[in-house]
Amino acid sequence: MPDTTRAPADREITFAQAIREALAEEMRRDSTVFILGEDVAEAGTPFKVLAGLLEEFGKERVLDTPISEAGFTGLAVGAAMTGMRPVVDIMFGDFVTLTMDQMVNQAAKVHYMSGGKWRVPMVMRTTMGATRRSAAQHSQSLHAWFCHVPGLKVVLPSTPYDAKGLLKAAIRDENPVVFFEDKMMYKLKGPVPAEDYTVPLGVADVKRVGEDITLIATSSMVQVALGAAALLEEIGISAEVVDPRTMWPLDEKTLIDSAKKTSRVIVLDEGYERYGVTAELASVVATGAFYDLDAPVKRMGAMHVPIPFSPPLEDATVPTEQTVFEAARTMCGK
Amino acid sequence: MAISVVMPALEMAQETGKLISWLKKEGESVAKGEPLLEIETDKAVMEIESPGDGVLAGIKVHAGTEVPVGRTIAWIVRPGEVPPAEEVTVESGRKTSTATTASAMSNAAPSNRPPASTTSTQAASAIKSSPKARRLASERGVNFAGVRGSGPGGEILASDILAAAESKPAAPPAEVGTGSPISRLMAERTTQSWTTVPHFFVVREVDAGALNEARQKLGLAIERSHQAKLTHTDLLVSLVARVLQKHPRINASWTSNGVRESAEINVGLAMAVEDGVVAPVVRNADKIELGEIAIQRRDLTERARTGKLRPADIANGTFTISNLGMYGVDAFTAIIIPPQAAILAVGTIADRVVPLDGHPAIRPMITLTLSSDHRVVDGARAAEFMRDLASAIGNPQL
Repeated sequence: MPDTTRAPADREITFAQAIREALAEEMRRDSTVFILGEDVAEAGTPFKVLAGLLEEFGKERVLDTPISEAGFTGLAVGAAMTGMRPVVDIMFGDFVTLTMDQMVNQAAKVHYMSGGKWRVPMVMRTTMGATRRSAAQHSQSLHAWFCHVPGLKVVLPSTPYDAKGLLKAAIRDENPVVFFEDKMMYKLKGPVPAEDYTVPLGVADVKRVGEDITLIATSSMVQVALGAAALLEEIGISAEVVDPRTMWPLDEKTLIDSAKKTSRVIVLDEGYERYGVTAELASVVATGAFYDLDAPVKRMGAMHVPIPFSPPLEDATVPTEQTVFEAARTMCGK
Repeated sequence: MAISVVMPALEMAQETGKLISWLKKEGESVAKGEPLLEIETDKAVMEIESPGDGVLAGIKVHAGTEVPVGRTIAWIVRPGEVPPAEEVTVESGRKTSTATTASAMSNAAPSNRPPASTTSTQAASAIKSSPKARRLASERGVNFAGVRGSGPGGEILASDILAAAESKPAAPPAEVGTGSPISRLMAERTTQSWTTVPHFFVVREVDAGALNEARQKLGLAIERSHQAKLTHTDLLVSLVARVLQKHPRINASWTSNGVRESAEINVGLAMAVEDGVVAPVVRNADKIELGEIAIQRRDLTERARTGKLRPADIANGTFTISNLGMYGVDAFTAIIIPPQAAILAVGTIADRVVPLDGHPAIRPMITLTLSSDHRVVDGARAAEFMRDLASAIGNPQL
């Protein structure tokens, strides 16, 4: 399904501003929306994404918590069950390990276990992405863990426009949603309309139209794929870039249609390649477009190593424009 | 330890090599670097040197046999040592580059397993093809056996099936083992050229009087200085090369990115050999003097006649001349050798009655026919080249 929701925009803001606007607008619109997490209030998070929200909404709706991810995530699950719409901030995606029981066994299961009597309309915002020189415990992309669990929706925006529209849709959703922001994209600028809009969960977006090869990419890998597509264009290869935008619900049809059109597919994701998101997406494509594929589907993700602190080593662990370009060129036989 | 002697891959796309002869006998000692055997590839006959010092043993393949590249065909052993009984296959070096990047670090732990690779014998036994290619083949009734794969590892892709479906009658029956490599190569290349290159032809009759005079005048001097006989072909190579300098679009090729003009002018000469035709190349023909062209042409002819052309002799031609004048042919059209954009077909020099200053005259005339690839050269460009070539032949400045 093509994205028909995109409104015209005559201004550009950063990815971080888009997140902040989405939160502020939803908090103005709905008094049950509130934020909690470590360093979210005065500090506005280490990435300054939430700067200014404390001043507008006060300490009761922008709550600084102790360093206690399991505790305040459980608090959010309970608040959501009683009618609030909490937005939990987990500073580094690596810390989601501490929230797993609350997310996997509580948030994801409550609606089912209560026979539909209770809902958990919460959002967990957290970060992902390497190459920030943050070392092995602050650089992982662990979104695949949540994709594996029924009952959770998982969102990976790749542009300021998508970030704002998807976060607003996530806050309004009646289910627990995990929202991953690549920390390397917070300064990325893009057109975002000032008017209210949402991007529905479960609708992929063709970020670039092409004929010869499809690059399916998530989050910041969409930017990498677009860069690689520009390099490929110089040698006469026309690459299509498809962004699923949400891992679940997943818009399988758009991925399969693109694969059928180009016959060649590379799937890119910054999470670990082994048993990762790329495996699921590649399987969807291989099953849906098998008789239209002219080459095996290739996956590119993070290497199976702790993300190194050494900059040259860290840069080598994740796909880059150049490695994607080379892989696509080989696949196209050029 | 015994060293295996394998059938080498001398060219990028070579799949088999034919053993012409062993230059050493079983049990004879041989030094590393000494010529050990002669093989024939698709394009040339070559001597192969011994990979080590020792005694030649365990010869598995005899003269005249065609062998997949990478296969062990004999052993070099120490005196008294028995060659290993087991067949060992060696990587032919034709791997795709994709397998090595992302997994490099995770595979750093030592492993006893040999690296995963496709040996040439396995590659030859299974036809690899994409799912899309298989679907198209069954829809269009194309037989895989006759299709050559263009994928990174030789896989049959959708585009190969579509091309085969369009030129079905041309797909040759797979009769492996009949015909020499040269005749098979000729069949493949001419079919590919004729069915994929849009040919067109420009014909021009030229007075060869001045050419005859130049040959007589310069012939003696060159025979004395270079010990080489000067032929009409040599004169044409030199004249064509100099005219090509002014016509870079004729000295060009069609690529996936459009027209590419060649940096050098290397003139190929079509030569008949026992079971086909080869086109060895006079390199930088626009830069070397006539005597040097005569020597190179003589040596190339000799190597072609004896089947000893080296791969370098036939590589990188940018334009070709095919001369059938010695057979008394008046004129003919030639098939372009891709990726070159043009080939000049030269007929015999014969006395003809032609008008000269309003009167009939008898003049030695020659008919030249240029075949051009219309993707690279249009009619006007071809005509301009032929006009300048005719003028150079009419007044050879050599």
